[in-house]
Amino acid sequence: MRQLPFQYAFRNLGRSRVRLGASLVGSSLVVVLVLASGGFVRGMQLTLTQKPGLHENVMILGTGSEEGVERSQIDAAVEGIAAASISGLMEQAGVIYASPEIHAALPVRESSSSDADLPAVMRGVRPVALLVHPEVEIVRGRPPRAGSDELMVGALAATRLGLPAERVAVGQTLYFDDREWTIVGEFSAPNTVMNAEIWLPLTDLQIATNRESSLSCVVVTLAGAGFSDVDLFAKSRLDLEITALPEREYYASIAAFYRPIRIMVIVTAVLIASGGILGGLNTMYAAFAARVREVGMLQALGFTRLAIVLNLTEESVFAAACGTLIGALIGVVLLDGIAVRFSMGALALTIDAPVMLAGIACGLVVGFIGAIPPAIRCLRMPVTEALKSF
Amino acid sequence: MNLLLFVPYVLKQVTRHGVRSALTVAGIAVAMFLFTAVQAMNTGVTIATTESANDTTLVVYRADRFCPATSQLPQDYQRRIEGVDGVVSATPIKIVVSNCRTSLDVVTFRGVPKDAFLDEHGENLTLVAGSYDDWRSRTDAALLGETLASRRGLRPGMIFDAAGITAYVAGVVRSSDAQDQNVAYTALEFVQLAGRDQLGIVTQFNVKVREASMLERVSADIDALFDTAQEPTATFSEKAFIGRVADDIIELVGFARWLGLGCLAAVLALVANSIVLSVQSRVAEHAVLQTLGYPGRLIAGLIMAEGVVLALAGGVLGGAAAFGVARYGNFALSVEGASIPISADAGLLVVGLLVCGVIGILAGLVPAWQASRREIAECFRAV
Repeated sequence: MRQLPFQYAFRNLGRSRVRLGASLVGSSLVVVLVLASGGFVRGMQLTLTQKPGLHENVMILGTGSEEGVERSQIDAAVEGIAAASISGLMEQAGVIYASPEIHAALPVRESSSSDADLPAVMRGVRPVALLVHPEVEIVRGRPPRAGSDELMVGALAATRLGLPAERVAVGQTLYFDDREWTIVGEFSAPNTVMNAEIWLPLTDLQIATNRESSLSCVVVTLAGAGFSDVDLFAKSRLDLEITALPEREYYASIAAFYRPIRIMVIVTAVLIASGGILGGLNTMYAAFAARVREVGMLQALGFTRLAIVLNLTEESVFAAACGTLIGALIGVVLLDGIAVRFSMGALALTIDAPVMLAGIACGLVVGFIGAIPPAIRCLRMPVTEALKSF
Repeated sequence: MNLLLFVPYVLKQVTRHGVRSALTVAGIAVAMFLFTAVQAMNTGVTIATTESANDTTLVVYRADRFCPATSQLPQDYQRRIEGVDGVVSATPIKIVVSNCRTSLDVVTFRGVPKDAFLDEHGENLTLVAGSYDDWRSRTDAALLGETLASRRGLRPGMIFDAAGITAYVAGVVRSSDAQDQNVAYTALEFVQLAGRDQLGIVTQFNVKVREASMLERVSADIDALFDTAQEPTATFSEKAFIGRVADDIIELVGFARWLGLGCLAAVLALVANSIVLSVQSRVAEHAVLQTLGYPGRLIAGLIMAEGVVLALAGGVLGGAAAFGVARYGNFALSVEGASIPISADAGLLVVGLLVCGVIGILAGLVPAWQASRREIAECFRAV
């Protein structure tokens, strides 16, 4: 089969600059939107999925609070009882990896004179938390000391609070529970919910929330023990009203909870992309319809219908590919890593390889689908009639 | 000249390029679906957070808290609150949510003193199924808002489990208040017993005030009363309270508004593109019309009418689809026990169609103006 040269398709693009511009803008817009929604979904997925290879943690929380640790209340003694009762927990230099924690959503203010309540997610911890959660790395300053009104903030805490990053830098203060708290450290825990949290000493948060005798959960790290050992402990201590849940499963359930939101985001992206395809189809129909005589001439010169369809498709896909590149560039430069505040936390839009692949595929599909039906329609007309048209 | 005579002509022009018109209408329908859905969310936020002159309800919450899990007030505050001048009643409420996070399927339990609740609030509720007697007689009975019942497929007599609470469905109620539509009302003690050491502890008090003008003074009096107490209070009007806890959702909807505007721009682009293409291929036809004595402004009107027809057709399809999804999907965005319904009514559909009509006119304006000003001879030469 004799093919039409690629140059023919390439040069045809310049025939209507307005149409070329519309194709470029349309396809790049579709790619940017797909990357934005894909980046959001991916960011959420990574934040709520624990990486394999890290410690295997089990959460001990209040019965009936499996869906949200924030409303869990267990006796403060559970930490000691669990550490003593469950053999096979990880241990280092005599420290058993059992982290008693309070998770609370509390409003903080910039200062005592400020009126605006900023929604913060706080975690009251002891130093052992840094062993149990190895993803957490203190990047500036030091951990807060109990009784000194000190706290440390995660890398995305500023986004969560809706403040500029420099406002929550080391040395700055935040106001809650009727007093100023000094930020003494900054930590980073990429792709985890902790990255948007504020950490402070457990006893300080217990006092601030008036729950001196209770905890939200105890997180233990397994070494020789298995989940069944912790589960057996929880089930045998009915008096404590506790339940055990692998940390990975807990965050998987949170991810499942957000499923409707993710579906909503994906459906929106699909609708926008389909709108782009319909617009592209419409333009191509008109563009190819105006070239019926030209197509008839190509057929008369001996080019097969398949060769002509291929060439028209090349033209459309090439324009869409250029738009896709522009969209992909915008996605990587402007969208990747952007922190988004979302429901009790914050996440970073993640434009990684799978998301980029989806964006590029979408851009190319817009060009491909946009060309095939109009090209076929254009070729339906017999050569003689096509040559006579207009 | 009777313009109605030209309706068949306009419709014929629209259907002349069936595939192209169908593509345009489909594109507009998609954009209008998104626009109407965004507007439905926006309406929900407005309904849930806009205060009216008749509002007489205050919410007393634990100061410096916005999550039901951390707002813990002694139940005996009720007596002291009722002693404040201007207060008609104070209803203690214990709230338990399946999850503090924002999503579309959060179950919120509100434990209330049953008889007092029905006395105070009963007139706002319409029993759709089940019975109040059943609700009163069983400790584990729940009265479900219609939205929640419909979303979870729950009917009277069924048992359901959420937020660590197993409850019996005694009835389903309908209410004009968005907050009632998406909750499960149960006995106060029943919800308190579901938590650890929660007997005698409530999340908030809903306070009925004698007159709307007294809201500010009464809320200040209540907060002053507990200023030095171990659990100080923060009192808000009901709508301001929802605006405070649903901050995340309001921000999300604010962002979605931009998406809605983008959809309108897409509709404009699609209609304009279709009209421009259509006018370009009919230059000679317009010249013939002018030769036959049709004035330029009539031709312009006919072109704009095409734009309106296309926009309205897409608007009806997309708007009706979004209306159906919002109306029968029973979606509500919930956070911290507050509920923002995704609310659609006929007014929303009408507004969408009006917007479509205006966009149709705007999209046809430039090509119509150009077509009406073209010289006849020039038109024939252009072919």
